[in-house]
Order: sequence, then structure tokens, then C-alpha cells
Amino acid sequence: MSSLLLAAIALVTYGSRVAALALLPRPGPRIEAVLSRMPAPIFAGLATVTLVTGDGALVGGPILGAAIGALLATPARSLLACLLAGGAGYAVAALAG
Amino acid sequence: VTRAPIVAGVLPILARATPAAAAIAVFGALYGAGARDVLGAPLTLASSLLVFSGALQFALVALVAAGAPPAALLAMAVALNLRHLVLGAVLRARLGGSRWRRARLAFFLLDETFGFAIAEGNAAEREGRPVAAAMARTVQVSGGLCYTAWQAGTLVGVLGAGVASMERVAAAIFPVLFIGLAALAASRPSHAVRAVAAAALTAAIAIGLPELRVIAPIAAGVVVALPGDRG
Repeated sequence: MSSLLLAAIALVTYGSRVAALALLPRPGPRIEAVLSRMPAPIFAGLATVTLVTGDGALVGGPILGAAIGALLATPARSLLACLLAGGAGYAVAALAG
Repeated sequence: VTRAPIVAGVLPILARATPAAAAIAVFGALYGAGARDVLGAPLTLASSLLVFSGALQFALVALVAAGAPPAALLAMAVALNLRHLVLGAVLRARLGGSRWRRARLAFFLLDETFGFAIAEGNAAEREGRPVAAAMARTVQVSGGLCYTAWQAGTLVGVLGAGVASMERVAAAIFPVLFIGLAALAASRPSHAVRAVAAAALTAAIAIGLPELRVIAPIAAGVVVALPGDRG
């Protein structure tokens, strides 16, 4: 890969970040209503995709244990509680495995 | 102007972002170690400094190692970066400030910083604090921390330090982090239902079409957000 190609890729990446955040006009009320419903589903999707390998298989036991632990803590609606429960889930699954 | 309130506002953001930054540092080291032999040390370091996107950088190294032409690398960059348009649009709706300021913050737009900003925006809304300022500060502080972690990790990997043993622990942080952020972002029961639907749709895409797994969460998020709430 050449330096020029790297610069082009960096430009494409920054361009994609800056486009919606700074260059495009603020969306209208109907679009904003749709956008306001997106964060929780996007995070749920991001969590899910980290549990599937590039081959389409599920990840190993401890990582799955961490995710289950965090899921059990979601009623608390606290990031710290999810992190602690995730750590506990990881430890339990690692010991069990 | 006293600096105490600014510091007091920054510390909680640093505390929340540190686990993610630690995991990012480990993956940065794995990237540095893997990319060094393919790109060479200078380009490996430059790629982390200028691109700052783990998923894209790992994909680029795999393509270069496979002998892919420049057009394929650019196409991959465009495809993987499409999600930024959605993340940016969601943040834009709640982020004020000048265009120049938003353009500076845009460099730090990652899945993780997006998550921290949304969570902080929701908290600020509940507590009656200015939402846009809280979100902008969160993107800046958590983005700076994640950027530093990614650079440090890349450098460690390029220098040949072994961190492979930590990969599993680091990999476990991301699902836990995103589950926690989903819980924080689900401020209504309908949001939780949509989140479960998005998780199911993402799983179906990631398992059935593994090559689309990187854009699956955003695609699923858009699809389940389209129908309006009843009542």
C-alpha cells in the first residue's frame, strides 16, 4: 500500500465521519424522530455482532458468559453494573469451561 | 473561569471510557504486530494516526496481504465507513455548536464514542443539564482517550510486544459495553423491543452473510427504527 493510497483511505474515512455530523443540514422532524429511535437498536446490534465470529459461528464460552452477565444486569440501567456483571459472567464461564 | 467544573465534568467521562480504551489498546497492539509485517512500521503507524478505525484497518491489512488492488482497498473503505453517516446523523440531531466545531469532533466518531455521547446526552436530559454541550464534551474526551489508546497499542505492537494472551479478555469488553449502552439508551419499552429485534436481525445477517457483518448493526438499527411508535 502506498502513502498516497493511505491518504485517500484516511480522507474517505474522515469524509464519512464529517459528512453527516458537520456538512449535511440538520434533518427534519420526521427524520429526527426515526433517528431518535436508532441508538438502542444500534447498540444491541453492535453487541450481537461482537458475539459472532467472521465465519458466522458463536464466540467462545467466556465472552458469551460476559454478555449473559451484562444482559442480566440491564434492568439496573447502569453501565457500571453491566461491566461488573459482565466480568462476573466471564469469570464464571471461564471457571466452568 | 475556574477549571474545577471542567475537570469535574471530564473525570466521569474518562472513568466510563477507560475500559473501552484499555480494550482498544490491546487490539491496537494486535493490529500493530500484524500490520508491521504487511505494511511496514512507518505505514502501520501512519495508518493508525490518520485512519483511526480498527475494523477498517484490520480489513485493509488482510486485503493487502492477499494482494488486492488499490480499488478494492478504497471500495472496502467506502463500504465499512457507510455506518458513520448514520451515526453522524443521529448525533447531529442533538449536537449543537458551529460547523467547524462539529467537523473537529467528527474525527473522533467511533461506535464507542457515539455510545458514550448518547448515554451522556440522555443523562443530561434527565438532569436538566445542557444536552449538546455534554454530548460534545463526551465525544471529545472519550475520543481523545480512545485515540491515544489506539496509537499506544499500535506502537506497542509494532515494537513487538506480545499481548495475544489478553485478546480474549479485551474481546469480552465490547459486547458488555454495548449491552450496557443499549440498556442506557432504551428510555422507553418500545426502544427495548426494537433493540431485541435489531439484535435478532443482526445475528441473522452476521451468521447468514458473514461478509456483511460489519454493516449489519447499522442496517438492522435503521430497519427497526423506521416504524413509528403506536399511540
